[in-house]
Amino acid sequence: MKRTIYIFSDGELKRKGNTLYFETEEGKKYIPVENTSELFIFGEVSINKRLLEFLTESEIIMHFFNYYGYYVGSYYPRQHLNSGYMILKQAEHYLDPSKRLILARKFVEGAVENIKKVLAYYKNRGKQLEKYIQKIESISQSLQSCKDTEGLMAIEGNIREQYYYAFDRILDNEHFIFEGRTRRPPKNRLNALISFANSILYTVCLSEIYHTHLDPRIGFLHTTNFRRFSLNLDVAEVFKPIIADRVIFTLVNKGIIKPQHFEQKLDGIVLNEKGREVFVREMDERLKATFEHRGLGRHVSYRQLIRLELYKIEKHLIGDEEYRPFITSW
Amino acid sequence: MVNSMHPTGTLIWYYYICPREVWLMSRQLTPWQENPFIEIGRLLSEEAYKRERKEIHLENIVIDLLKTEGENVVIGEVKKSSRFEKSARMQLAFYLWRLKQLGIEATGQLLFPKEKKKIIVTLTKELKAELIEAQAQIKEIIKMEIPPQAQKTKFCSKCGYQEFCWS
Repeated sequence: MKRTIYIFSDGELKRKGNTLYFETEEGKKYIPVENTSELFIFGEVSINKRLLEFLTESEIIMHFFNYYGYYVGSYYPRQHLNSGYMILKQAEHYLDPSKRLILARKFVEGAVENIKKVLAYYKNRGKQLEKYIQKIESISQSLQSCKDTEGLMAIEGNIREQYYYAFDRILDNEHFIFEGRTRRPPKNRLNALISFANSILYTVCLSEIYHTHLDPRIGFLHTTNFRRFSLNLDVAEVFKPIIADRVIFTLVNKGIIKPQHFEQKLDGIVLNEKGREVFVREMDERLKATFEHRGLGRHVSYRQLIRLELYKIEKHLIGDEEYRPFITSW
Repeated sequence: MVNSMHPTGTLIWYYYICPREVWLMSRQLTPWQENPFIEIGRLLSEEAYKRERKEIHLENIVIDLLKTEGENVVIGEVKKSSRFEKSARMQLAFYLWRLKQLGIEATGQLLFPKEKKKIIVTLTKELKAELIEAQAQIKEIIKMEIPPQAQKTKFCSKCGYQEFCWS
């Protein structure tokens, strides 16, 4: 399995011979290119065109985050897997409102089912979550009758709001209280964690899309604007509860992430450098963790699971097999 | 139609392994390139028989190796394992047939460098009939609107499409 490289320090990243070379004030480091699948750049890193050419050749995607840990953008090299047929199919399922709605609904259903699994897990551990579970249950009734993607987004938003309020019961930690969802910037620590977790998951999904024939610009639940990536946002919905949110629970409940890992930023709160490092390390562990996959009859990691989900979407698009979102069994 | 694909040697090869693979390849839905077996295959065809190597491109066929043994023209096809002997034999027979149409009489050798094994293939009437049938079948498969259903075979476990088919 290829590795993800996270760069937090400041320095220069360049090509040296046939390998990546990172130089900082403190030292130098070689990054073997055959073992690298993607780069996350958090520090102030200088790059040049020669490096971008090398990354393209090596099929490595590079994500950039700014000083506050906000996603800036990705260097998405020229597609290495190209199928005009798949792009046409993807566009067909976007342009036909009924086909688009089918897929969009599946993403929301997957998200909601996985949310319910997470809540059920904590309910079994004695957390008082009945109220939230019931509310989510009743809101999700309207999913089937929903006629457009805006409606689906609204239902999902309402469910997620209930779900986030349930975090207060799950975490039961005075330093991490929900108080409503706030973004750009997040107003409190829990919101900062949620935002950061989601943005990492979005980029991981984007990296996986890069290794398929799908075009990341054509999403189904999230409206495409033909410029920004949106398919990764769709797929991430299914995995937020079981990957991103579970990392948050682990970090807070085990006391690994603490108030000192955050900093005030103008009108909000963001994770500081140490906090981002701690988060990213745990997230990476989670993505590498494996479990038995029934269809394949062997163990797969959560990262591979995202890739498999993309294959399922491809199969849906080419009319091979109807897409059924992954729903965790624990 | 998707593209007016003439059955190529590679499609003949895939046909004898899995019809679904033929369909997917015809749409450029190439498999995951990180699959270790694909890597080995690629390295092998780049590295084995380097001295004799002359990759020949003839219209839409690519011949790994071409040499003369006395009067005879010999073409070789390099493969990783004889597990796919049927596929390899038919692919090579297809090349022999194409050469014959171009006026070149040749014999074929299947080369399995890792197994130090060599199999001679000559174009017989039976093989030719089988190839004609296979080509017709391939055309039918490519014409299909949706891919042939996935079916578990002994080839699945090492196939680049494994994760695609069984996800």
